[in-house]
Amino acid sequence: MLRKFEQSRLFEGRLVELLLAVATVLLVSDSEGLNSEGQYLMEIKNGLQDEFNFLGNWKSTDQTPCGWIGVNCTSDHDPFVWSLDLNSMNLSGILSPSIGGLIHLTFLDLSYNEFKGDIPKEIGNCSLLTILYLRANQFSGPIPEELGNLSSLEEFVAYTNDLTGTLPRSIGNLQKLRIFRVGENAMSGNIPAEICRCQSLQFLGLAHNRIGGEIPEEIGMLGNLTALWIWENQLSGFIPKELGNCSNLESLDLGGNALTGPIPVEIGDLKFLRTLYLCANELNGSIPREIGNLSLATEIDFSENYLTGEIPTEFSKFLRVLYLYTNELNGSIPREIGNLSLATEIDFSENYLTGEIPTEFSKIKGLYLLNLFHNQLTGVIPNELSSLRNLTMLDLATNYLTGPIPYGFQYLTEMHQLLLFDNSLSGTIPQQLGVYSPFMEVDFTNNHLTGKIPPFLCRHANLVFLSLGANKLHGNIPNGIKNCERLKRFNLNGNRLSGTLPSEVGNLVNLYSIRLDDNNFTGSIPPEIGNCRELQRLQIAGNHFTSKLPKEIGKLSQLMLLNVSSNLLTGQIPSEIVNCKMLERLDLSHNSFVDSLPNELGTLSQLELLTLSDNKFSGNIPASLGSLSRLIELQMGGNVFSGEIPPELGFLSSLQIAMNLSFNNLTGSIPSELGKLALLEVLILNNNHLSGKIPTTFEGLLSLVELNFSYNNLTGPLPAIPLFKKMNSCSFIGNPSYKATLIIVPLKTIIKLISTIIEPTWTIWVYTPLTNMAIRIISVGHEYVEPMELIFPRHAAVELRRAPNIGSEMKFPGALIGNNLISEIVVFRFAMYRKVRAFGYIVSDLDMDFVLKKTCVTPCQ
Amino acid sequence: MNFLAPLLMAIPSPVHVVLVVTLLSTLAPTSANVEGDALYALRRAVKDPENVLESWDPTLVDPCTWFHVTCDGDNRVTRLDLGNAKLSGSLVPELGKLERLQYLELYMNNLVGSIPEEVGGLKSLVSLDLYHNNLTGSIPASLSKLPNLKFLRLNSNRLSGRIPRQLTKLGNLKILDVSNNDLCGTIPTSGSFAKLSEESFMNNSRLEGPELMGFVRYDTGGCK
Repeated sequence: MLRKFEQSRLFEGRLVELLLAVATVLLVSDSEGLNSEGQYLMEIKNGLQDEFNFLGNWKSTDQTPCGWIGVNCTSDHDPFVWSLDLNSMNLSGILSPSIGGLIHLTFLDLSYNEFKGDIPKEIGNCSLLTILYLRANQFSGPIPEELGNLSSLEEFVAYTNDLTGTLPRSIGNLQKLRIFRVGENAMSGNIPAEICRCQSLQFLGLAHNRIGGEIPEEIGMLGNLTALWIWENQLSGFIPKELGNCSNLESLDLGGNALTGPIPVEIGDLKFLRTLYLCANELNGSIPREIGNLSLATEIDFSENYLTGEIPTEFSKFLRVLYLYTNELNGSIPREIGNLSLATEIDFSENYLTGEIPTEFSKIKGLYLLNLFHNQLTGVIPNELSSLRNLTMLDLATNYLTGPIPYGFQYLTEMHQLLLFDNSLSGTIPQQLGVYSPFMEVDFTNNHLTGKIPPFLCRHANLVFLSLGANKLHGNIPNGIKNCERLKRFNLNGNRLSGTLPSEVGNLVNLYSIRLDDNNFTGSIPPEIGNCRELQRLQIAGNHFTSKLPKEIGKLSQLMLLNVSSNLLTGQIPSEIVNCKMLERLDLSHNSFVDSLPNELGTLSQLELLTLSDNKFSGNIPASLGSLSRLIELQMGGNVFSGEIPPELGFLSSLQIAMNLSFNNLTGSIPSELGKLALLEVLILNNNHLSGKIPTTFEGLLSLVELNFSYNNLTGPLPAIPLFKKMNSCSFIGNPSYKATLIIVPLKTIIKLISTIIEPTWTIWVYTPLTNMAIRIISVGHEYVEPMELIFPRHAAVELRRAPNIGSEMKFPGALIGNNLISEIVVFRFAMYRKVRAFGYIVSDLDMDFVLKKTCVTPCQ
Repeated sequence: MNFLAPLLMAIPSPVHVVLVVTLLSTLAPTSANVEGDALYALRRAVKDPENVLESWDPTLVDPCTWFHVTCDGDNRVTRLDLGNAKLSGSLVPELGKLERLQYLELYMNNLVGSIPEEVGGLKSLVSLDLYHNNLTGSIPASLSKLPNLKFLRLNSNRLSGRIPRQLTKLGNLKILDVSNNDLCGTIPTSGSFAKLSEESFMNNSRLEGPELMGFVRYDTGGCK
């Protein structure tokens, strides 16, 4: 009560101020001719940019504004401005507070302009306003509380602005308000319960804001409400059952909030409801049977909730749209679905529906969208669906459907989208498919389909996506493919297709993905592929493609993924490949490419995976590869690369998965720069001719978990770094300085051996088969140390090696021993060279492969 | 729904709403694609000036053909390689849904905000590389629920608060780097932390050094 009193006092105070202001202007206006309302309008004009001069005839030399564009006056002797309509005049700028001077205004429309800034609070002075349209501008700030002063206001429409703040509580004063729409702004706060005092309210539109809190249960007092749109906000809590009292409601949209709890059964009382959207909330429980009472409903969308239970058997017979997708519905699809004879769209996808697809769908003659994908449906695709002449989109993907694709589908003249992937469909694809259907998307991936690719899929030249991968198709790519000018995705991977990739592929200039991998294709890659300028992915691995990689590949400036591995390709890599600047993944492995790599390969700065293994590449590894700063994996093993490892490879700072240079002819020492590869987990350098020591910088290989240096000419001690602690012994064998021969002997032989050797010429390492680690030093120098602490396995592999400096003592870094790096090492010296030779003789009798297998948990390469 | 909103607002007639919603059903990402949705949530939460996420099409059945994403044979995401990709914005809790993710490589970007608690749900995670970003907040204790974690590199951010003591339970931890942050409190020394060197914790001016066992309480005040 007190508050109300204060408010009215405030209002009186403002009124006095305003009257004074008006009086002042009146005095001034007399001297200049234009009346006061004209002056207020001029002030409004002065605040605006009027790019197209819509307000060109607003002149201060006029007596009244009544002839001005957008201005309407009463026809009295002393006319007043009652209407201002500036809709769609490209006006921008601030709305002047002078608007508050137009106190006779009943109609104000500023829609579709670029008004910025606040809605001036002075608008509250226009107390006769009945219509206020501000939609599609850039008004910001809150809706002024003074809006509540406009007691005549019937329509307030301000959607699509940048309004913030909460809804003014004063809105409850607006007893005549019929339409209140502020959708698509950035308003926050709750829905004030006061809004429920607006007894005339018919349309409440708050969609697409940031309004939170619960829907006030007082909403049920709005008996005249016909439309309630609050979608895309942050509402939480239950849907109030009182909504069932809004008995005139025709359109209810609460989608895209965070509403919880069940759908109240009272919704079923809304006899006039036509559209009901509760999608994208967190509703649970089952769909109430009472929804069937909504006998006028034409659209129901409960998608993207957590609804459980079965699909109700009864819905309005006027229903056109029924969306229940992305819930947790179970049970089978009721046969009564066929009663929805007017339905055009039914989407039950992404639930747990079981059973077969009811043939009753065929009674819904107007059905053009049927989505049942990602359920657990079984049985065959009913032939009866072929009678749905309007069927445009059919998505049955990701179910357990069996049997053939119905023969009748090939006569469906509206079919644009036929998605049947991830099922167990078998039989041949109907060969006339596409003759009558203007397909845009066909995806049968991952079924058991046999036979050939239908030749007319592209007859209507609409096809954009074609995926037939992971089936058992045979035969060639049909000629009709050349009509597929719109084709973007062309995936035939994982079939038994043969023949060539026709040169007509060059006509398909919109292609962005070609997947032919894992088939039996032969012939060469047509140079025309270079015309497919949009191509991002070219995957043809695992075929029998021959000849060279065409140099036209360099025209594919969008190419991000090129995989031609496991083919019979020969020749050099065309140097033009360095024009494919977007390349991220390049796999040329398992072919017969020869000669050196283009030096500029290092300019492919987006490369993440570079796989060149198992070819016949020769020459040096280009130092430029070191600039591939995004590279995470480098596979170059199994070629004949020679020369030294470029130190620049140490700059591959993103390299993480692996660097594999094994089985090449690399010489020289391992560059110490490789120690900078702090992310690298796998470093494979075995079977080269690398010499020198393992760099001590390898301390920097912090992430290393696998390493192989075997079969090189490396010498010297292992660096004293923790990373070698758990290394597989296979990682080091095959380096002459570390090894003469390797045998398996019973432990007692070792002990015997130890006792017979006295001269410092040879050392012996013992690897245990269990841990793959060399075992502890038993003897150093001349003195024999009893292996007291050791628990020996029954067998051990013994490796004999020459000490680096004959005659002097083999030195093991103390840190190495202390850290249990090679935790168990036998070092002792042979008394007589002859004895060594004798022992060596025994060794040479043994099968080396057997030894290796026994020695390593994972066999050495 | 957001991107169609202007359209919907401009055409208030309910008949048109049907059309819009129809369009939606073909465009909206499928939620059975949980991992794709999770990654798409990340895409929406970051700015991507170099369009490295351009191939992230939420309408595909799974994210395995997206660039910078690697999947295993079951089409489950195992790697996310977005190091040094000029991304800005924040991490999203949805990332926690990538159950088989082993490598989360988001280092050297301009990510802000905190490390979501949900990262602790990445049961297969081997490597969490968030170094050189602008992350704030504390190191979630939930990371201690990652039994396979080997590499935890959070250095050069603006992380604050204590180093969660629970992290000492990470039995496979090989590398921990939390240097160059604003961490405080003491450094745990037990469990997997026993073998870590001082370098892992450098340049955290408020860190008090290794915790003292025995009579001195671990939990001294003034660290938030």
